[in-house]
Amino acid sequence: MIGEEFGSPKRKFVIQLVLSCGFLILIGRLYQLQYIYGEQYGRQSEENSIRTVVKVPVRGYIYDRNGRLLVDNRPSYTVMLTPIDFNTKSLPLLAQILQMPEEMVVDKINRGKKYSQFTPTRIKRDIDFRILSLLEEHKDKLGGIEVEMESKRYYPTSARMSHLLGYAKEISDWQLDKLGDYYQPGDIVGSAGIEAKYEQFLRGDKGFDYISQNAKGQIIGTFNNGKNDVPPKDGLDMHLALDVRVQALAESLLTGKRGAVVAIDPSTGGIIAMASKPDYDLSNFSGVTPSEVWKDLTTDEGMPLFNRATLTRYPPGSTFKMLLAIAGLEDGLIDENYRIQCRGAFPFGNRVFKDLHVHGSTNVIESIQRSCNVFYYGLMLKVGFDEWTKYGREFGFGKSTKVDILEENSGLLPSTEYFDRRYGKGKWTQGYLVSLGIGQGEVGVTPMQMAVYAAMLANKGHYHQPHAVDYIYNKWTKKTDSVAYDRHDVQISEKTWGIVREGMRRVVMEPGGTGGIVRIAGIQAAGKTGTAQNPHGRDHAWFIGFAPFDNPKIAICVLVENGGFGAVAAGPIASMCMEQYIYGELIRFKKKAPPIAQTPNDQLVE
Amino acid sequence: MPSFFKEYFDRVTAITTIALIGVGLMSIYSATFDTHAASSFYRQVIWTAIGFTAMLITMVVPLRMIQRTAYVMFFSSLTLLLLVLVMGKVVYGSKSWLGVGGMGIQPSEFVKVTTILALASYLSKSNINVANLKDLIKASGFVALPCVLIMLQPDFGTALTFVGMLIPILYWAGASNFMIVIIIAPAFVAGAAIIGTTAFLIVLVLLAVALYMVREDRFFATLMFGFNTMIGVFVQVVYEKLPMYQQKRITTFLDPNNDPLGAGYNVIQAKVAIGSGGLLGKGFLHGTQTQLNFIPKQWTDFIFCVPGEEFGFVGALVVFGLFAVLLFHGVKLASTAKNKFGSLVAIGVTALLTFHVLVNIGMTMGLMPVIGIPLPFLSYGGSSLCSYMIMAGLLMNVYANRKEY
Repeated sequence: MIGEEFGSPKRKFVIQLVLSCGFLILIGRLYQLQYIYGEQYGRQSEENSIRTVVKVPVRGYIYDRNGRLLVDNRPSYTVMLTPIDFNTKSLPLLAQILQMPEEMVVDKINRGKKYSQFTPTRIKRDIDFRILSLLEEHKDKLGGIEVEMESKRYYPTSARMSHLLGYAKEISDWQLDKLGDYYQPGDIVGSAGIEAKYEQFLRGDKGFDYISQNAKGQIIGTFNNGKNDVPPKDGLDMHLALDVRVQALAESLLTGKRGAVVAIDPSTGGIIAMASKPDYDLSNFSGVTPSEVWKDLTTDEGMPLFNRATLTRYPPGSTFKMLLAIAGLEDGLIDENYRIQCRGAFPFGNRVFKDLHVHGSTNVIESIQRSCNVFYYGLMLKVGFDEWTKYGREFGFGKSTKVDILEENSGLLPSTEYFDRRYGKGKWTQGYLVSLGIGQGEVGVTPMQMAVYAAMLANKGHYHQPHAVDYIYNKWTKKTDSVAYDRHDVQISEKTWGIVREGMRRVVMEPGGTGGIVRIAGIQAAGKTGTAQNPHGRDHAWFIGFAPFDNPKIAICVLVENGGFGAVAAGPIASMCMEQYIYGELIRFKKKAPPIAQTPNDQLVE
Repeated sequence: MPSFFKEYFDRVTAITTIALIGVGLMSIYSATFDTHAASSFYRQVIWTAIGFTAMLITMVVPLRMIQRTAYVMFFSSLTLLLLVLVMGKVVYGSKSWLGVGGMGIQPSEFVKVTTILALASYLSKSNINVANLKDLIKASGFVALPCVLIMLQPDFGTALTFVGMLIPILYWAGASNFMIVIIIAPAFVAGAAIIGTTAFLIVLVLLAVALYMVREDRFFATLMFGFNTMIGVFVQVVYEKLPMYQQKRITTFLDPNNDPLGAGYNVIQAKVAIGSGGLLGKGFLHGTQTQLNFIPKQWTDFIFCVPGEEFGFVGALVVFGLFAVLLFHGVKLASTAKNKFGSLVAIGVTALLTFHVLVNIGMTMGLMPVIGIPLPFLSYGGSSLCSYMIMAGLLMNVYANRKEY
């Protein structure tokens, strides 16, 4: 009985009828449009009379955590050309006035033509007053040329912030292809750093003016008294976690060196400072970037465009000892009473792994304080590769930190699988592990990862996704849009934290610590020095640390390439940056310094 | 050998499909070759190759296997849809949106195919009878699920295509005329109520006539009539209370001519493009509207303007003709197929294609609201092209198996 109605001839007929009606209506409409009104529409298409003029919004401003303006907009004049209105006979004159080769002008015009004959396209940005007056003088010969006021980026502070802010520059052909419909040739687009990552918010929305014109393309006036015009919407403002004074200090301390400083607020993951040297001057990109400037930047052997804070990757050296200590303590393999005898060397297999000093009887706190290698050679073998890798992962090594600055290296955290893949199963020995125990060998970390690690040591295991942008201010809703970032906690006992952090405190605060140089007047600081062995030259210097000890407000990582010992090269930079952040100024250069605060040592002992 | 070929190879579907894709590629080339989107043509060529492979595979896979795996495919495609929804929600912070551009896929296009298959598989079960209200509601559930997910994206137009496909399938499967009227009526009533009281009353009269003609239970019919009247009154009251700008948005949607520079801009320019094509068109690559890019992104939803302008009335009729042959062939296939599943698949594919063709060309010519759905085989877009080619493959598969029970 079910089949009765299923696909019955009657139903087939009804469907065919509906289909026929549909097509008949379409054919009828087609006939009406093309046959009856064809001529009328033909005329209309010839004098299509409304032209759209794009109005560019003002790019969003960028502020630091104290509301200081970091990125401003200044007016600049741009020469625009409407292809259909321009007489090519005037080309030599135009090229001469603009001081551009003729081919380049033609090239720009052709690019614009591809988008539309009728829309003005940019020929030259940021012209000076002399060119402006010359254009005005020859106005009658230069039909289709207009000068439009636009804005360009201006950087009012002394900090360069090259890699952090990134630049916004004229869109390239491949970006045009990739980013799609919003953009037109000649538009400004964020191409690095925050400018690129938050392009969507910073750029705003273009506006459109509708202009009536006659069949020859001459403008008659506004269309419909401008009632249909859409005003541009300015971009949103970014408020960063950055403290520009710390940033400027970090940059000046790195001057002449190659390296990076990353400072993070341990309670939020907000980036207080991110410096990478050598760097470059962002104002070179704000107007027209001369090709020689670009060439210099790309060929410089110091690689100024390369963001060392997130892209460079070195072994962490002794700064990795806390990680191994935590693994050993948490897995119950050692405790605070466990001691070894350091005789300055660690024989293993047919090799001898060295230490810098003979430390004698050493427990875990002292091993951090004095950076005893022998302690960790042995501990690494106890803890084992897999546990070490596991804890490394927990602290965010070997994967990208997802910092909101686009380019990032995820570093290298080796694992059993990795070595098996690289050397073949059973073809690598425990000897490979021994040097990993002191952060040397086949392990690589970025300064950004190290800063996150320092922050986690400071806040006892809270991982916050590092980020530059704290919140976005929406001018239209008058509200702040806070930005959501990942966070998770690492489960490590309070006792372990007590031991490891006490070791780090002693590094800075107690005699015999390797980082006494970092001491800051009036504040308990903690840290760890590290030296990454460099087979190609002088070792790289690391320092990670945080302050104040009891209530950390800043965690920092400093890397100085070829700097030698961590304490000497990197320590003072970290010390001054932390001092600047906490006091708001560098008090060490004032006469009276407050005495060093006393913190009882008993907090870890049960 | 030729007779074997004739017996198992669906030449009508193959030829019309290939011809339509050819027209589509020409149109995309014409619309983009001189713009920054010139790479669209080459991408579409690559997608055509991918789609062709998909079509051939669909054609030869045993129909029973498709039937058996229909639910699995349906639910996995829904998962994909859900994934898009979740991923799309991650705004800033942890996800970079710049990398998303380029050659993404649109699961909603593939869900169209899997929904047809799942629905056909369900309705072809021997214990299911859509004359039965309970089964009818269950069947509608197959469409409601993807509809809701797509509405959340939000993509109203695509969601609507599912409804456009559901009704013919239910009708074909034996739903009573009364039920069909009941399903369709509220949409018409609501639309008419917005247009005005006169239109509303006319639709009500038509509904009364229709209900009388299908002659079901009189009490239920009266109830439904009352229900529809209430919907109409409710819509009208709500509409009156809306602020002006929202009213304007709705009227613009129903009649784009109300907003010549906003939503109506495309339609007006499209009408100028097609109208100025005249009898024979302006010639390939010589359409002024097309070449001067008066219609933004016309290689997607407004692609029909290109053959309309460049090949004129004659060219447009050829496109209509190709679609008509394919669609009538689909209906014929549905009625000749001995296999219930195959028959339902054929009618589902035909219904979906019909809805797209009529609504897309209708909106390009200013007859229908602009709801942003592609013109099958012609519009630029990899996912949609592939899914339509898979549908063509399904028709060819049903053809080859039409004599099997």
